[in-house]
Order: sequence, then structure tokens, then C-alpha cells
Amino acid sequence: MKTPAIVSEFREGLAQGKLLIQHCQDCDKPNMWPRYACPHCQSENLGWLQSKGEGVLHSFCVLRQGAPAGYEEDLPYAIGVVKLDEGVQLLVRLEANRPDDWSDYLCDDRVSFVAVDAAEAERRPCAQFRRSPG
Amino acid sequence: MAENWQLHVSPGADNDPVFVGVGEIPTGKFPDRSFIEALTKVALLALKDAGMVPRDIDTIMLIPCLHGAADQADLVFSRMVEELGIHGSAKSSYMVHSGGSTSDNATRAAHGLIATGHAQNVLVLQCERWGSADLNEMITMLAKNGIPGEWELPTGIQFNAIGAMITRRYMHASGSTAEEMASVCVTLRNWANLNENAMFYHKPLTVEQILASRMVADPLHSYECPPMADGACAFVMTSTGNARKRGLTTAVRVAGSGGCVSHYCLSQEADQAVLGWPLAAERAWNQSGWGPQDADIAQIYDSYAAVTTTGLEGIGIAAKGEGARWCAAGHGNPGGKLPLNTNGGLLSAGHTGVGGGTALLVEGVRQLLHRAPSKRQVENCQRAIIGGSGGSYMDAQILLLERTKLGA
Repeated sequence: MKTPAIVSEFREGLAQGKLLIQHCQDCDKPNMWPRYACPHCQSENLGWLQSKGEGVLHSFCVLRQGAPAGYEEDLPYAIGVVKLDEGVQLLVRLEANRPDDWSDYLCDDRVSFVAVDAAEAERRPCAQFRRSPG
Repeated sequence: MAENWQLHVSPGADNDPVFVGVGEIPTGKFPDRSFIEALTKVALLALKDAGMVPRDIDTIMLIPCLHGAADQADLVFSRMVEELGIHGSAKSSYMVHSGGSTSDNATRAAHGLIATGHAQNVLVLQCERWGSADLNEMITMLAKNGIPGEWELPTGIQFNAIGAMITRRYMHASGSTAEEMASVCVTLRNWANLNENAMFYHKPLTVEQILASRMVADPLHSYECPPMADGACAFVMTSTGNARKRGLTTAVRVAGSGGCVSHYCLSQEADQAVLGWPLAAERAWNQSGWGPQDADIAQIYDSYAAVTTTGLEGIGIAAKGEGARWCAAGHGNPGGKLPLNTNGGLLSAGHTGVGGGTALLVEGVRQLLHRAPSKRQVENCQRAIIGGSGGSYMDAQILLLERTKLGA
């Protein structure tokens, strides 16, 4: 099956260093994850906005073993849920503070989107975040 | 504010659905115990417990297995009807599935069929072979269950990561320590040590041992992650009228239920330290007229300690933020204020996939029928809270069950 447009467009954004969030052209609300119809007003008139990439870390974990097939080489890695300032949430990878060390992170930390190069965005098409300075 | 939906059956009425029997075989690693053999055994145990024979059953409801598609197909396509010799007389055989909360929804489905007359005697069957399956294959398979593949698989998420995020958020919100979280697992182990069917019947467990076990997914240690197990259990439901005609004097009825599907993937949950429990509980109280103080035992889904502590709080058994400390104080232990997961739960009896919740329900019914072995039977057990959750803790489901005298 061909990759659906909402998926390929989101991933193209990541490859260009942008975090896209779906935007309903009719009710003006943001949606994450992107949907085939707006869950607020059921409109199919949907487009994209570039997120400012700023938000709050709701929770996270550091996976040290038991990666799904194909992810073993990434271990250890950290995954978190970010509540973006635009009012939507998404699952992300978290950049280590130091190699293999995420001990500086706390729940409710401010975090920022990190642009990765196109090859990494293709290898792991998910958003990456880090603790905001200050 | 939750709706006030009343059940359309009266306690003691002929069409009031009741549980009348349960069956279970040991949980653990049993590579030589075949899937169909296990299902047949628990079916016959539950029927015997209910005072029935296979011919009495008109409807079989299957709880799914997750270990393999061929066995799942055997369930869906009525193999158990033939194995039990009721082909030609059985009315229907089908599967209900909502992951870990399946047994709660299967109870509701059977309840509705019996109350309306679509079914007379319903046999619900469950079997899983996770303990004998390839662990890495199961991790990869589960990473595709309850997770939107196109959006979230690229992060490398899997099930312990989901449990770990809920645990981290719960610890942050409640100020619970690692010791207090581990005490939830110890409470469950204390019960498993009284259950010969439990995977860890012979193995005591301490907070110190848990904290010394290796870190799997911060903040979860390996002894805080559910052990994948083989297991099978079954239960029988009928109408109060049928039960009376069959000469039964006690049974277990459904006083009410409540549920809330709060998300599909965990990333969309508004508060991982709360989940869907508060709304599910409010709905259950509205339907039953009960409150949390009315229960004699609680059987709350426990694939990870934080799932149970959020449940204890959302249901109102423990104060907000106090679920883990409630366990650390020993309130859920044998002899404690409110016995919690008296079979040892998923974390200590064994995680049998969709069957983990079924085993919690079966134990609740067993306690209410006063048929648990004496060493763990809760004295004068009259009312039980059953709490289930499925997928990435997408839902919170609550069944309120009560022992009932059938009379003449």
C-alpha cells in the first residue's frame, strides 16, 4: 500500500527539519495525530501548520532492553510524551544529556524540538526533543 | 458528571444474570500443555463447578489469545463447540475482544444476552501461551498492539516503555518513592504465595529484591515488569431463574458497571497519573448505588503497579496520590483492610495476555462464591470491585459484583 499522504507529508516535514501539526481549515483546531477527518468538526478540509516546537514533557522512560525487532542497535533510548504549546500531544524520542544518560530530565520540564538530518529522519521518522535551555 | 444509566434487571428476578461457576488451571510455563487441552480442562472444571454438563451450554464466548493466529482462528471458528461435543445443539460461539479489559466486556455481553433471552447458559473460555512463546517475537508483536504504527513505531516504543511512562508520571504526581512502588508488587506476591495456581506460588519477594533487580525501562526494574505466562480459565453465567431451577442456592450477580475509554495510544492520554478510572467509577457508583467503602475485596488490573495505584485512587479506595503508600501500609495484604488481587494478579500469578484480567475476574467470583482455598478465602466476602484495563491502558472498566442467595 502507498503511504497515506498525511503520513508522508508529516515525514517530509521532519526531513526538512520541521515539526508539522495538522490544522483544520474549517474549525481552525490543531490535530495530533493527523486524522483523515477533523475529530472536532468532521471536516476533510485539512492542512498543516509548522509547530513552534516548544512544550512540556508529560512523562518519559529510558528503554534499556527488550527493543522491538529492528531497534536493538538504538538501545538504550528514551521515549517521552510532549504536550506542545499549540495544545496537542505526541510521542517523541529524547536526546541524551550526555552519552546514554537522560538523568537530567524530569516530568514537566520544558522541551524543544530538535531538527535532525534527512538521513536520520528517514531512518527514524519521529520527532526528537531535548530539554529547553534555562 | 456521569450519566445515571440503570440496569434493566432487578436483583433476584428470573432474568437477572448470575455467575454460577469458575474453572482454572495453573499459570506459568507449561510448554507441553496444548492450547486445546487447556481450554477443554478449564471448560469442564467450570461446568462441574456450576453443576452443569456441556449440553447445558447454548452459547460459548471466547476470550482471545495473542500468542498465535492459528490458535486464535480455532477459537473464532468454533473448535471448542466440537471439542465439548455440543455441535448441533449450541446456538452461537464467538469472540469478544478489548485486550486486557475483555473479561469485563464479555461479562457485559453475556449479561445482556441472558437478561434479554438471547442466551440461557453462557460458557466463557480463555487460554494463552505467552510463557511458551518466543519472547522477542512477543515483544515485537505487542509493539504493534495499541500503538499507531505509522506515527509511533518509529520511536521504538514497546509495552514496558508504556508501563514505565505511566509509572514515572504517577511517581512524579504522587511523590511515591521507588520503595513504595515496589510494595505494590510485594502485596501481590504475598497473595500469590497463597495461590497454588500462581506462577510464583513458591517464591516470596521483598522490596529490596525488586530494587536490586536490573533496570529494564527506567523507572521499572525487571521484577516490576509482568512475567509472561501460560494460563487458562473459564466461567459460567446463567439466569437467576435457571439457577433456581437447577437447585443452586448461591450465585454472584452484577450490581452495576462503569467504563471510560480515555485514549487509543498513551501519547493522547490527558493525564497518565489518572487514566480513565474516575469517570468509570462514577458511572459504576451511579448504576449500583455502591461506594468504594462497600467492597470486601478489589481485583484491579496490575500489569504494572502504577496501573493499580491509579485504579485504587480513581475508584476511591485510596486517597488521591496515596495508592502506592496504601499498599506500602499493608492495606491490600492478606488480613489487610481491603484484600487486593487475591490470586496474586498479573504481576505474581502471571501475565496471560488478555487472560490476566479474566483471572482477576474469576478469582473475584470464586471469592464471592466462597470457593477459594481456605488459606486465602476472604471471610464473609459479599461484594467485589473488579477493575480492568486494555491496550495502552486505553480504558478503565469496573464491574461491581455481589454474592446473592437465590431462594426458592
